[in-house]
Amino acid sequence: MSETSRFRSLEGGHGALKGAQTAWDMLSEEQMQKHITTGCEELDAILGGGIHCKEVTEVGGVPGIGKTQLGIQLAVNVQIPVECGGLGGKAIYIDTEGSFMVERAHQIAEGCISDLLDNTAHRLKDFPACPEILQPNSFLANIFYFRICSYTEQIATINYLEKFLEEQKDVKIIVVDSITFHFRQDFDDLALRTRVLGGMSLKLMRFAKKYSLAVVLLNQVTTKFVEGSFHLTLALGDTWSHACTNRIILYWNGNDRHAYIDKSPSLRSATAPFLITGKGIRNATSHCKRVRMM
Amino acid sequence: MLPGIEPLNPLLFLPAQKLTLGCPVLDRLLRGGLPVGSVTEIAGESAAGKTQLCLQLLLAALLPPSRGGLSAASLFIHSEFPFPIRRLHALSSSSSAADPLGHIFVAAAHSPDDLLSLLATADGLLARPPTHLPVRLIVVDSIAALFRSDFDNNPKDLKKRSFLFFKIAAKLKEQARRFGSVVVVTNQVVDVVGSEEGANGQRVGNYASLWSSGRRVCPALGLSWANCVNTRLFLSRKDEVADDAGSSRTRRWMQVVFAPHLPEACCEFVIVREGVSGIELQSRRTMIAGLATSKSLAMTSLDLTSIAL
Repeated sequence: MSETSRFRSLEGGHGALKGAQTAWDMLSEEQMQKHITTGCEELDAILGGGIHCKEVTEVGGVPGIGKTQLGIQLAVNVQIPVECGGLGGKAIYIDTEGSFMVERAHQIAEGCISDLLDNTAHRLKDFPACPEILQPNSFLANIFYFRICSYTEQIATINYLEKFLEEQKDVKIIVVDSITFHFRQDFDDLALRTRVLGGMSLKLMRFAKKYSLAVVLLNQVTTKFVEGSFHLTLALGDTWSHACTNRIILYWNGNDRHAYIDKSPSLRSATAPFLITGKGIRNATSHCKRVRMM
Repeated sequence: MLPGIEPLNPLLFLPAQKLTLGCPVLDRLLRGGLPVGSVTEIAGESAAGKTQLCLQLLLAALLPPSRGGLSAASLFIHSEFPFPIRRLHALSSSSSAADPLGHIFVAAAHSPDDLLSLLATADGLLARPPTHLPVRLIVVDSIAALFRSDFDNNPKDLKKRSFLFFKIAAKLKEQARRFGSVVVVTNQVVDVVGSEEGANGQRVGNYASLWSSGRRVCPALGLSWANCVNTRLFLSRKDEVADDAGSSRTRRWMQVVFAPHLPEACCEFVIVREGVSGIELQSRRTMIAGLATSKSLAMTSLDLTSIAL
């Protein structure tokens, strides 16, 4: 699609500028940029449609705020069939902490499927393959799961993805949960750590652009005592601040979970509330007054 | 394809293996029990029931999977002294396993480096179990005691401490994964003073604040350590004067502070001679009354259907 349109304009006399595009081509490419829905409409809205393919998005937050939940939700939502408005793609989930619980992924897949069936019932008659594809176990089977136990395994796995992505063209998202855990131990050579992290992030950015997929890096937070008060910062933030196209921070606002865009080339800073339900990430029902007990 | 690196199909991990807590009510709170391949933290004040629960888990591990166990031996690393051998012996008398005490390996750790070297040695124990049962439960009781004396509150020491957290956690998670083990780490709590802005005021998990014995508390070792565990459970207690004869009783609760596979949930339990036992929800009104007085829940976001289910 966008690839062929680029070549068409090259054929039209831009041969001297091999690989260059006109600004119009870039604009149309951006407008056709694929997004993966998060499951929460307000969150999708502040993201400009959802998590962007061809970009690296960092998601940070405290333990329990929902980073893994979002990671699993995206690994499921990337699989929403094209007929239902999704990408019909597969997912790579790199689990560095043991947070990926298959039973939860199964629940989230069930929730996604049940919402699809509710919302697109009228279109399903045009979609005969539906019953086989829309099964939680099929969704789970489309997640390529890697469990990492050390930083060397993490480097090796990301290097391995080069070949893997050549063969598995359906992959449309890579989730790394979480990116910095194995780098937060003591490193004798901090310069090495910086080089390794930098190299990893560049590689992932290349994958995003080359294979038109979304890269989502979940990150932990740490507290920094700055100017007399504690601030939350992303772990190993200095090493990463340049490497990600987008950054989302998940945080608590009172008893409600919120997300805000901390960095984006095209989106303005905005916040959105979201819920984690049995079905997964969903809209916060702000119109529903919470029941006051006692 | 490089040797050794292969994507896995998540379906291989279903059905999820869990270790029973020895009580069906608590198991229901945790959707079966403690997960294999994962690190679960049990935090609470002294005498909240942490060690009691751990002892129960050591015996539960010996049960066959059909009864929620792992048919496995356990490794218990303790940093609090003395090791409660009499209590364990008393509990083991009701175990259906042959020679339960022969399948529980106990080691003492006095410092973080002690723990790391014990865990390194444990690789051998895990890979070549001395008895016919594999070792599939590792308990560290408690992580907090290891860090009590060696570290001051200055940034350099805190950084050093933090490095050790991640090194220990990475080792425990690797063992959980490689040997299909359940890893349990107990943690103490510290008082939370002042506003939300303090280092300990940062909200972590499903509750804006955690309470025990009428004090606002939070698990020790800060945000760093919180990033190191997969699941955090909080045990709280409250001594109450009973209405009738003026006698006091202790009420206890287990709360899910965060877990990748569990919603916010809470369950009341008791500790009796046979061990830790959850209380079935008798009436919602009684439950809410108990929780409101212990201030252990953010009441406005309470989902009643998740309590003790």
